[in-house]
Amino acid sequence: MRLLVVEDDKDLNRQIKSTLEDAGYAVDTAFDGDEGHFLGDTEPYDAVILDLGLPEQDGITVLEKWRREGRNFPVLILTARDRWSEKVAGFDAGADDYVTKPFVTEEVLARIRALLRRAAGHASSELECGALRIDTRSARVTFDGEPIKLTSLEYRLLAYLMHHQEKVISRTELVEHLYDQDFDRDSNTIEVFVGRLRRKIGKDVIETVRGLGYRLASVENSKS
Amino acid sequence: MVLAIDWHRLKILKVRPDSLAFRLTAAATLWIGVVLLAAAFGLTALFRNAVEASFDTNLDVILDSLIASAEVVDDDELVMIRSLGETRFQRAYSGWYWQITALKARDTPLVKAAKPYRSPSLWDSVLLSPVDEGTSFDDTNLSRVDMLGPVDHTIRVLERRLILPETNQYYSFIVAGDRSQIDQEVGKFRGAVLIGLLLLGVGILIALLIQVRFGLRPLEAVREALADIREGREDKLRGEFPSEIRPLAEELNSLLDYTTEMLERSRTHVGNLAHGLKTPLSVLANESRGEESQLADIVSRETANMKDQVEHHLARARMAASARVLGATTDVLPVLERLTHALDKIFSDRALDIDMDCEEALVFRGEAQDLEELVGNLLENACKWGRSEVRIRAAAYSDATDGAALFEFSVEDDGPGLPENERERALKRGERLDEAVPGTGLGLSIVKDLTRLYRGEIILSASELGGLKVTLRLPRVVVSQR
Repeated sequence: MRLLVVEDDKDLNRQIKSTLEDAGYAVDTAFDGDEGHFLGDTEPYDAVILDLGLPEQDGITVLEKWRREGRNFPVLILTARDRWSEKVAGFDAGADDYVTKPFVTEEVLARIRALLRRAAGHASSELECGALRIDTRSARVTFDGEPIKLTSLEYRLLAYLMHHQEKVISRTELVEHLYDQDFDRDSNTIEVFVGRLRRKIGKDVIETVRGLGYRLASVENSKS
Repeated sequence: MVLAIDWHRLKILKVRPDSLAFRLTAAATLWIGVVLLAAAFGLTALFRNAVEASFDTNLDVILDSLIASAEVVDDDELVMIRSLGETRFQRAYSGWYWQITALKARDTPLVKAAKPYRSPSLWDSVLLSPVDEGTSFDDTNLSRVDMLGPVDHTIRVLERRLILPETNQYYSFIVAGDRSQIDQEVGKFRGAVLIGLLLLGVGILIALLIQVRFGLRPLEAVREALADIREGREDKLRGEFPSEIRPLAEELNSLLDYTTEMLERSRTHVGNLAHGLKTPLSVLANESRGEESQLADIVSRETANMKDQVEHHLARARMAASARVLGATTDVLPVLERLTHALDKIFSDRALDIDMDCEEALVFRGEAQDLEELVGNLLENACKWGRSEVRIRAAAYSDATDGAALFEFSVEDDGPGLPENERERALKRGERLDEAVPGTGLGLSIVKDLTRLYRGEIILSASELGGLKVTLRLPRVVVSQR
């Protein structure tokens, strides 16, 4: 696993790098926005740790550029600014998580591990299945161009199915994906969510494969 | 042309005593009133003079014809050779009288003279002589006075004393006319004048009010434009203003710009300060963690302390910088969408179902950053405590007592919640941010302070999901057809 750390404070950069290396990751470092952007653009990283207050180009700009250019690695932003408006701007630019300064490097390590686990298998930001489209950046779902309002778990479940369109997904797999931690592993709740999703986007979209699990069906226009 | 009366506009007639309209109207009304009253007095006086003059002329003529009608026969026998042709002299006590008295000399008092010849109207009364009453003759040998007549009404009395031809005796000729006739005519005239002037006054007053209203309309427009800014419908004074108030409007606009700019700048400063302090704090904290020495212990403890202090005071500074910018508005739905999305990412390790429902076209009267801060803090708290479900609702709301346009925003979770006495304490505790102890959760304090800044309301209650429900009521922009 190869990671990039973009942080202009040399000491902090070194501390993060050594913590991550101790945990077994290969770590590259950059100390300003230009350098960081170049590395992220040219090297295949599995995740990036990005400070928002950088010389040359600020972190938000770098992140936006990466996302525009199709770089989809998970990004953890480091920010001293703990106003929600600043955090939200980071997420809007395409960040996946944030850590506010001051922090201890173990916190960064824990977040990066979670990001890498979550990111496995998710590639594109826009997914399509028949008339159904989701934008994973903004979490917007449309069916036949009509926006659909989903709760966050309904969205997560649908996004997972969209990411694995051709496969039959077992309930256990869905439970494990939705409930990362050891928490209420009752597969009946999956049925509840599938039922709610079918009511919102049409019952033919999610096929039940008896005994195996669920699969997305490419439905063109038959919301029922 | 049809004159359409806008009743709503006529509200201006109820002018407030401290208004410009009142000053203008009151001053003009007072002046017009004085002038019209003076005109009434003047006109009446002029008219009275004219009527009196014509009355006197009339009496003069009657006196002349009386003199002409009287003839002395048989040396001292006086006879009327012609009737005066006035029925009023025949009717008893009509107020119109004549009387001829023979005198020994020109200035003999009448009471010492012989019995007079009188008009039938005098019946058995005798007229007093103006001369005897102290009035002197004028240059046409005429004496005139107003006195009380035989039946107590004021009469005007004219007297001439002369020697009739063919005699060498003085005679006093007296004619009297009823003065009440003059008063009656003057009274009638005064009534007409008063009514006329009153109508004129009312007319002028209406014209005045219309003029004041028309002249002050630009001020009304400024007032409405300011209200628009305060209510958040506009961010600048817009419209054409007359040259007297245009500079005021321009100054106000540049003041608004300046406030916005200052606020932006102070926020940037606060942010820079935070960034500047927090990075070295991170470094110190991390460095000290690796070692086991007394120095490392102290550094570790003190950096934690400094972190709390920095966060606490930054929050305070930010709040001070959050002085509400006039005219800022924020669409609620996009803010909720972005924050729900962000929180979902932050808490994606947890199986939290965040259900957000927001009324369309809801507009917060305030700044986006403040709304994001409010929503972000409440949502983060709910996500921290919630076990599996977080519910967000936002809908328009009108205050029951004063009808203020608000919107209600609520966040609830299915976490452990707070018992009622704890809820009360949570609202009371750290009544203000600067009284709160550094290091304790700033989230709710920030929410409380921001809510207070916007004169909003915060309500803690039990959620039907089982946890805590936090409800905020905040000002809303009425996006309506005004």
